[in-house]
Amino acid sequence: MKIEITVNGRKRQFDVEPNKLLLNLVRDELHLTGTKYGCGIGECGACTVHLDGEAVLACMVLAVDADGKQVDTIEGVAEDGNLDPVQEAFIEEGAIQCGFCTPGFIMTTKALLKENPNPTEHEIREYLKGNYCRCTGYVNIINAVQSAAKKLQS
Amino acid sequence: MSINKVNTHIIPMEFQYHAPTTLAEASALLEKYGDEAKILAGGTDLIPHMKQRKVEATHVINIKKIPELACIKETSKGIEIGANTKLRAIELSPLIKEKTPLLSEAAATVGSVQIRNLGTVGGNICNASPSADMATPLLALDTVVNVYNREGSKDYTLEEFLHGRGEVKLEPGELLTGMTIPLQPKNAGMAFEKVGWTTFDIATVNVAAVLTLKDGKIDHCRVTLGACSPAPVRVYQAESILIGEEPTQELFDEAVYLIAACVEPRESWRRAPPEYRRKASQALAIDALTRSIEKARRLA
Amino acid sequence: MAFPNMLYGRVLKSPHAHARVRSIDVSKAEKMGAVTITPDEIPDVTYCPRLVSVPEATYKDWKVLADKPHYVGEAIGAVAAESEEEAQKALEAIEVEYDVLGASFDAFDAMKPGAEQVHDEIYLKDDLLKVENNIGCQLSITEGDPIALEEADVVIERTYRTNRRYHNQLETKSVVVRPEADGGISVWSTTQTIHNTRLLLHDIYGIPMGKIRVYKVALGGSFGSSIHVNPVVTIAVALALKSRRPVKLSYTREEDIRDHCAYQMIFKLKLGANKNGMLAGGRLEAYLDIGAHQIQAYPLLGCIVGWWVSLYKLPYKDYVGKAVYTNKVPSCAFRGYGNPQISWVVETMMDELAGKIDIDPLDFRLKNYIGEGDLFWGQGPSVKSIIQSCGVEEILTKGAEMVDWYNRPNPEEQTGRYRRGWGVGRGYHTSSAGAPVPSSIVDFGGAILKMNEDGTFDYISALMDHGCGTQEAHVKIIAEELQVPVNKVNIIRGDTGTTVYDVCTHASRGVYSGGGAALKVAMKVQEQIRSFAGRILDAYPHAVRIRYDEETDQTIIFAEGIEGREVSYREIAETARHKNWGTVASVESYRQPSCPPHFTGYFVNVEVDTWTGKVKLLRVVAGADIGTVINPLLAAGQVHGGFAQGWSMTTLEDMPYDPIDGDLVNRGSIANYKVPTTQDLLDVDDLTVFFADTYEPTGPFGAKGIGEGALNPVAGTVANAIQNALGVRFFQLPITPIRILEALKEKEE
Repeated sequence: MKIEITVNGRKRQFDVEPNKLLLNLVRDELHLTGTKYGCGIGECGACTVHLDGEAVLACMVLAVDADGKQVDTIEGVAEDGNLDPVQEAFIEEGAIQCGFCTPGFIMTTKALLKENPNPTEHEIREYLKGNYCRCTGYVNIINAVQSAAKKLQS
Repeated sequence: MSINKVNTHIIPMEFQYHAPTTLAEASALLEKYGDEAKILAGGTDLIPHMKQRKVEATHVINIKKIPELACIKETSKGIEIGANTKLRAIELSPLIKEKTPLLSEAAATVGSVQIRNLGTVGGNICNASPSADMATPLLALDTVVNVYNREGSKDYTLEEFLHGRGEVKLEPGELLTGMTIPLQPKNAGMAFEKVGWTTFDIATVNVAAVLTLKDGKIDHCRVTLGACSPAPVRVYQAESILIGEEPTQELFDEAVYLIAACVEPRESWRRAPPEYRRKASQALAIDALTRSIEKARRLA
Repeated sequence: MAFPNMLYGRVLKSPHAHARVRSIDVSKAEKMGAVTITPDEIPDVTYCPRLVSVPEATYKDWKVLADKPHYVGEAIGAVAAESEEEAQKALEAIEVEYDVLGASFDAFDAMKPGAEQVHDEIYLKDDLLKVENNIGCQLSITEGDPIALEEADVVIERTYRTNRRYHNQLETKSVVVRPEADGGISVWSTTQTIHNTRLLLHDIYGIPMGKIRVYKVALGGSFGSSIHVNPVVTIAVALALKSRRPVKLSYTREEDIRDHCAYQMIFKLKLGANKNGMLAGGRLEAYLDIGAHQIQAYPLLGCIVGWWVSLYKLPYKDYVGKAVYTNKVPSCAFRGYGNPQISWVVETMMDELAGKIDIDPLDFRLKNYIGEGDLFWGQGPSVKSIIQSCGVEEILTKGAEMVDWYNRPNPEEQTGRYRRGWGVGRGYHTSSAGAPVPSSIVDFGGAILKMNEDGTFDYISALMDHGCGTQEAHVKIIAEELQVPVNKVNIIRGDTGTTVYDVCTHASRGVYSGGGAALKVAMKVQEQIRSFAGRILDAYPHAVRIRYDEETDQTIIFAEGIEGREVSYREIAETARHKNWGTVASVESYRQPSCPPHFTGYFVNVEVDTWTGKVKLLRVVAGADIGTVINPLLAAGQVHGGFAQGWSMTTLEDMPYDPIDGDLVNRGSIANYKVPTTQDLLDVDDLTVFFADTYEPTGPFGAKGIGEGALNPVAGTVANAIQNALGVRFFQLPITPIRILEALKEKEE
């Protein structure tokens, strides 16, 4: 089926089978491999992308269902070679250990801060609970989100 | 089922994709393909189930393009919610927060933000999962569901719709279009409680309560229990002993005993033994009753 | 990763827990265009996928593809096709006939006479061994006089059962193998050891070692699950060799969960103490339910006794450990390597013993712990050294003060729905398996450091970084030694062809042992720089000094007090090139002379809802002695992550089996294997991490490890806190809400 998706701001046309997942389209066709497969069933959040501006799991979306929509991935976050404040904060706060969950966390964090620029710790934890990290115990991630919120406000 | 058929990297089956834009079109497709067709709403259950080969489908009917299926609005009958309304929209809706806050409370406990941005209230109900977190509160709100049929639409009470055998009351060619939550009694206190193994989990037990106070006595009362039997249930026995009484600890103890008596999980459920669900259902029911009484008092 | 012309692999897995493959018909799959492999197409080599011990201590029972699968999920064949979808279809077209055999899912059932043998024969080094009662290997050790235990004032004996945990590293096991024109292969895999991967592939496939290039890649977590070479690697090599095309084989989550897990252990522990507050002795029986294959369970038997006897001084100790085969997923190392399990047992019993002899559990620990000057053999009886730095007392006394330990609640005084309790627990882990003499464990690494022509440095090491910031720490060590900013030291991602041997990133050896190698090459390089500088400045190499000049962003070598006698690294590098002196470079291997324990201690406060059985964390104070703290942010991060894993181990994780079909009860779905979310832990301000002020003389700039010690005491501490809240002790992990309600009911009755 022929579809058109705006990926990180660029319109792209694809011819896909109906059973193609958005995750695999992004990874295999576009080689945007920052979006990760972690579980395939919505448990880990590693495949979080923005679909028309909302954080969703690319492992649960059919590519054909994204037809005409806007998809944003971690690769589109940095602008003109400069890291996004959320990315900067994750690095500065040591919120990255193995790094596999990081793109998903950053995409969810960006959605959070767009909706709620000054979240409490409880609100951050609630919003990020679908993103799983086995390394950090989340402490430095929470610190990074708080620091990113401050950066974005100033 | 062979473990070699499961593959969560991909959807390991081929299907034809349909994206009808009207209810009539959707219904015709459903009638035409019968059991071979599956409805794609949010996809948060259908897609994992296809990967895990719990569902085989040769036709997938995406109903997201039918505009009237996604809405939250107030009418003279109460609040109408379209079947395709995202759980996230229910969670955040000011109208729902004001009129039936337990629905936003319950929606917020489903999965994660990413899942609620996809998952729909209709999907949550039509999957007929015993632990569906929307079914238990909707039941406590006397919800009426609206079903599309080529001949005209049908209304069922949610209780009739969830007829308790792991499936909902839908004939070939029919689909759930939405639900109507009747106007709730003024000053109703409401609460939803849930326990799972983590904060991102399906319910091991969930409980909803809606009640009002009149002259210090419980007047209107609904108590529903989920994840403890093949479909969520309204606990009439508990409601009847609560109504007309002053809310006391003793009364609640008696009521939750009756609630626990409704716990009849299937033997194949491995999450928790019946004893645990009984005990936890009492705890959650006490919490739900206490919180709704407190709210009812504040509103009275 | 992707290459042009690459195929996608899928593995054919046994649906039976134990069976003999009577036939495999791949004709339909091949007609679809897929490349297939079956057991008879693979070299008939029996191997052990983990190569960290010497051959004399290595039991072998693995084949690349099994013709007699021993657990649900074991690979019996594989396919490769143009896409994952096509590979999946081909996989489903393969027809297999099995003769189903009996199976055991419990270590004690498996040891019963007459139980079906998982393996009849295995190899130790190259000698064939007959397996009896499914005991794969065993170890026993006794030291001291048993009378000490027999005559102790108080003796407790109990049986403890740990959970079967899954690493749940976020990246599933994956590999890309590319066959090369010279008959060799290139391999990119999620491994913790590129050199051992090369060794094993050489052993199985007979490809000359120099023609196997294994490349370092970024790892999405591992936690011990890739110390051994994972089955995806050996299988993908066979597919690539047969198809002569690059093959990618990446496990799905449901395959990964049936691929590896932590050792489930059953302990019988007897400990005695005297009224003077001193331990008298102990006896430990350890039964490891290893699953269907050995991944070097033998050194683990040594580690378990080592962990046990190196926690507290035991005048008498008696140990027997047995590794028992069952028809379950093979167990391998998981952060802590048995230490979290045995520490839970010992720390639970220490509290119980303290109660019996009426001494505060914290004081009891302080009186008996093994510390500075004591003999340490955490890595087992063949790896002994003397402890030279220890912060146990500082951790325990400072932590106790912070939480007002001596005023914690008394469980008997609590009757309400919500009850609170404090627990203390301590532990440690080895940093590497170094020792003054050789042991049965291989532990050395190596590094290459060279100066570039602009005065910057390239650091090349085989040591994998699986997310602990290890390489970053190495860079800091080198930068410190050479007095340069860290951005002047580049990390070069090498492969087996461009690096010298490093055993593996495991055993919390990354900073201590790998960092030791980094320091050694940095020292050698500094020596050469001094020598070149000496020639340029006409000064004595040993007398010149080094400083970093911020203004010019150059490191300067100078003869102090003599005007004009200074030269920058850049100028030295340029001069060396122009005058044909050669490259400043060093290649060194390094073995640490010791494996100093890094010590940790936790204080945990919980609240238990006695109606739902849910346990909530209120406060955590963690103290760690890791010597010099090289990377404070990431070291604290290790503690945070260790705590979260320990909390999860204590309260959530387990993988029971369904004896009817022999598969996991969770059916491979992590929706049924829950781990804590952001909301299931505690607020940032309620978790305090502090570091003891110590210096490890053998470590690079005084540093020790941290990765595993961060986890080891957590289960014991949390269990003690739950006991303090409820007055109930648990002898089985995890301590779930279900078990809590059952135990409370039992207590009431």
